[in-house]
Amino acid sequence: MFSRFVFLLALVTVYFSTTHASIGGYICPSDKKKLFAVLVKALINEEGDFSTPYYGVKGFKLLNEQLPTVLVKDNCAHIKQFYKPDSSPEENFQALTAWNLLGCTGKLQTDATVTHLRTILENTKASTAEIRYAAEALKLLNIAIPNGQKVAQIIQSRLKEDDSLQSLGHALHAAALLGTAGNFILDRIEEVVVQADEVDGKLLQWEGGLTTTSLLITGLLRIPGARPLTAEQAEKLAAYLLTRRTVQTSKGALALIEAATSLAVSDVTPVSISIIDILGRPLKTPPSPVVAQSATRITDDVVVLSKQPLSPGANPVEFVLPLRLEPGQYRIALSAGTHSTTLTVRVLGPVTIEWVQIGLSDADGSAAPRLTKLQHPSKLPAALHADSSQHLTLKLSISRVIHQAFLRLYSGKKEIIFVAEPDSSKLYKIDVNLASELAHSGTFEMELILGDSVMSNPLRWTLGTLEANLNIAEPQKKSVRGPKPEIKHLFRPAEKRPPEAVSLLFTGLTAAPLVLLLILWLKIGINFGNFTTLSIPFHLGFGGILYLFALFWWKLDMFTTCAWLIPIGGFTFLAGQKLLSQIAKQKKP
Amino acid sequence: MKLFLFLICTLFSLVRSQGNTLVLLDNQVIRETHSIFFKSLQERGYNLSFKIADDSSLVLSKYGEYLYENLIIFAPAVEEFGGTLNVDTITQFVDDGGNVLVAGNSGTGDVLRELASECGFEVDEEGAFVIDHLNYDVNDEGQHTKLVITPDNLIDAPVIVGSRKDVKPLLYQGTGILADPENPLVLPLLSAESTAYSYIPEQAIKEYPHAVGRDTVLIAGLQARNNARVVFSGSLSFFSDEFFTAPVEKAQGGVKSDVSGNRDVAFAISQWVFKEHGQLRVRSVKHSRVGEEKPPSAYTIMEDVIYKIEIDIFEDGEWKPFSADDIQLEFVRIDPFVRTNLQKKGKQYEARFKIPDVYGVYQFKVDYDRVGYTRIYNTTQVSVRPLQHTQYERFINCAYPYYAGAFSMMGGLFLFSFVFLHLKEDEVKKSKGD
Repeated sequence: MFSRFVFLLALVTVYFSTTHASIGGYICPSDKKKLFAVLVKALINEEGDFSTPYYGVKGFKLLNEQLPTVLVKDNCAHIKQFYKPDSSPEENFQALTAWNLLGCTGKLQTDATVTHLRTILENTKASTAEIRYAAEALKLLNIAIPNGQKVAQIIQSRLKEDDSLQSLGHALHAAALLGTAGNFILDRIEEVVVQADEVDGKLLQWEGGLTTTSLLITGLLRIPGARPLTAEQAEKLAAYLLTRRTVQTSKGALALIEAATSLAVSDVTPVSISIIDILGRPLKTPPSPVVAQSATRITDDVVVLSKQPLSPGANPVEFVLPLRLEPGQYRIALSAGTHSTTLTVRVLGPVTIEWVQIGLSDADGSAAPRLTKLQHPSKLPAALHADSSQHLTLKLSISRVIHQAFLRLYSGKKEIIFVAEPDSSKLYKIDVNLASELAHSGTFEMELILGDSVMSNPLRWTLGTLEANLNIAEPQKKSVRGPKPEIKHLFRPAEKRPPEAVSLLFTGLTAAPLVLLLILWLKIGINFGNFTTLSIPFHLGFGGILYLFALFWWKLDMFTTCAWLIPIGGFTFLAGQKLLSQIAKQKKP
Repeated sequence: MKLFLFLICTLFSLVRSQGNTLVLLDNQVIRETHSIFFKSLQERGYNLSFKIADDSSLVLSKYGEYLYENLIIFAPAVEEFGGTLNVDTITQFVDDGGNVLVAGNSGTGDVLRELASECGFEVDEEGAFVIDHLNYDVNDEGQHTKLVITPDNLIDAPVIVGSRKDVKPLLYQGTGILADPENPLVLPLLSAESTAYSYIPEQAIKEYPHAVGRDTVLIAGLQARNNARVVFSGSLSFFSDEFFTAPVEKAQGGVKSDVSGNRDVAFAISQWVFKEHGQLRVRSVKHSRVGEEKPPSAYTIMEDVIYKIEIDIFEDGEWKPFSADDIQLEFVRIDPFVRTNLQKKGKQYEARFKIPDVYGVYQFKVDYDRVGYTRIYNTTQVSVRPLQHTQYERFINCAYPYYAGAFSMMGGLFLFSFVFLHLKEDEVKKSKGD
């Protein structure tokens, strides 16, 4: 299957993976949009300093973008309000630059500014950064730097004390402004370049991040007559800058734009594909001719194309190479003028399914499998009914080898995926032993998934339903978390009791003998002739004991009862003995 | 400007410091390419110390005290940590309650692999990417490894990943993780679509891929039994500025968004893993008989009891009352005898129930274990005794015959004592007897 793949050079960055000596992309319009958003924010969020307006204005200028007039007005007013001639050289420089770039009317600087800046240049204690900004500011005001040699000496002595990358960077800039007096810095260039750290062999940066890296790149490339960076280093630096495309601060954004700009205009512009520079701007004269030197299929190293010139496309950065190739990965060696590069290209193409057969077969292979032929996107007319002795078999033939040929069985959220094995190169087969692969019975939907990195029509195709009956019920899923069912305690029911009438009846029956006795005694009459007053204490005592027992049943506990019983009992004992001896005496004749 | 800086400084000093965090990186570039993520952490009060992962001066603890509360490892390529750091010390750090956020990629080194397996995850072999030929971004570089993941694949736990409905599609590029679905401590925070698989893109599929379909976990989380939290992402790019700000568009059409949801989800995950979200505690537990204030020394069976518990959640730097309607109280003697939902009354949760008619040693138990929240396991032991003899029913009808029997006997005896002692036999009988 041949594809009609149009190869747009300007857009090809999407498709090529980075190879040696080429950078993986450029600052594309969408990146620029993000940078603008950051810069605009800097212009709106005004604090009492000049750095944010400067970052914003300078960034816009470098990207050749027009500022909205409202912002121009606001920022001019802002700078005017806060500008003080004796502020630091950096603030002075930023304010003056922003003023100039904004095109504000009037004059910001005063004579005091110039004097202030000049004193700084003569001050032996000034840091390289201060010297640099003072020099920059003076240059901006079109005032020659007085006594360049002396300034150069100050810088050199400062560098001896502080040779950090920051300090060196500012020294580079300052030296570039000093003209011939700044030539001393040429000796330091090599030292600076050597200090750059390489990351993964792909990126090059200086310690201290984007701002330091940017300061050094712009500084190095600013020195007239120096060729500080090799093309390879420039490319690695550019690759580093590209990883920082998403920078979020206005300072970082400006640093990125400045560094990218100075790389782009330098003689080592990392033009990987050579037609656009790193900022995505067309080179003024597109190099020509653009020729595809060769195209090689990566899988087997067969050269499929050689020395084919690209025809110019609709705009100057577009070149078109019709690739009538089979889908796959190709390595294309391109040359444009003197630049050359290699890119990896994928040619996409659709895959057609020749036929698909699905069905059940016996595990022991005794009977021929019953397979049904299917056409995409039709489904099996009826569900497949399978038991544990059967295999599910799927065969498919497709137009070329692909990476992903999966069969997915799913029911609800559960899924099992089977990988098709290539039987021969383009014939795939899946054989699923249902008894061992499926854990339990159930109804499963069958889906075929075909995909490949060079397949333009990846697909999911629902084939039909499989009802597997394995005599193993689906296990209940236990939830580990979540509320559990409530439990109410079941209280033991009260014991059954006889009805009240029965209790009362038997109460009566129990009380009956005493009642009967009293009635009978009343009837026959009793002669208490032997009664003596001497017996009253005993009867009181005895009655007291019985009453105490009744109280014990009613409410007293054992100890209280005993405490009462001892005196009452003792009293009754003595009274009883008295009474009995009296009776005994009486009875004695 | 200086005033402003001063204001910012005072503002930050007011915000509760979220603790020291050690950030291990492969190289300093990662600090810049992931600046939005790190900046958000710093803005939330974290004190980040950036170190290169094989820096020989790395230490987690000094004199038995941990120098950091949290650890971020954004160093996929590291083969061996520097200093005293190794898998054992990091595991010990987790055991002692430290939180760890790890991001790998297709080139994840052995030491991270080992660390992952200590946490119950398994990272796919080196070079493997999660590939999905049906759900990749238009800006994919051709291997279909820059995946567009719809928010439906996030775990259904707003406390960890935010509300799934509000999240925009996500971008993911990296390796796949396998997590044991039976392990209740491991949470698949983000999983792949059914059509995804994890394999080395350049190699034809000869073996069954380690992770296929929804089983492919992209970001896995672990809440250990000591409530330490670990998140392992198979993609370092997931947290990068590039993915935070990139537009998302599925190559096959359907899903499109101006900006990815990575930023929101990454922030939410970082808030969860460093315990800004979902941290619960029990403030107080009270129980007593209904109508009383203080708990008795022992309960008696069948008493009405009232149980109150206050649960707090850590939000915005302070403890606030926690609201939920699924907290349950169990009254347990080996097995739960009563399980009831706690009702929120004011600041506290309350349950009333009748103690079962079985005596023994019981526990009031609140075991609240929900996805993303710290587990609350609070037990209060109480003894429940049987009724005292005075606590039974006093006079019952069926006992009346016994009462009558006893008292009639006692009355009879009293009367009989009179008769027996003082009876004067009639003269007639006397004469007869003579």
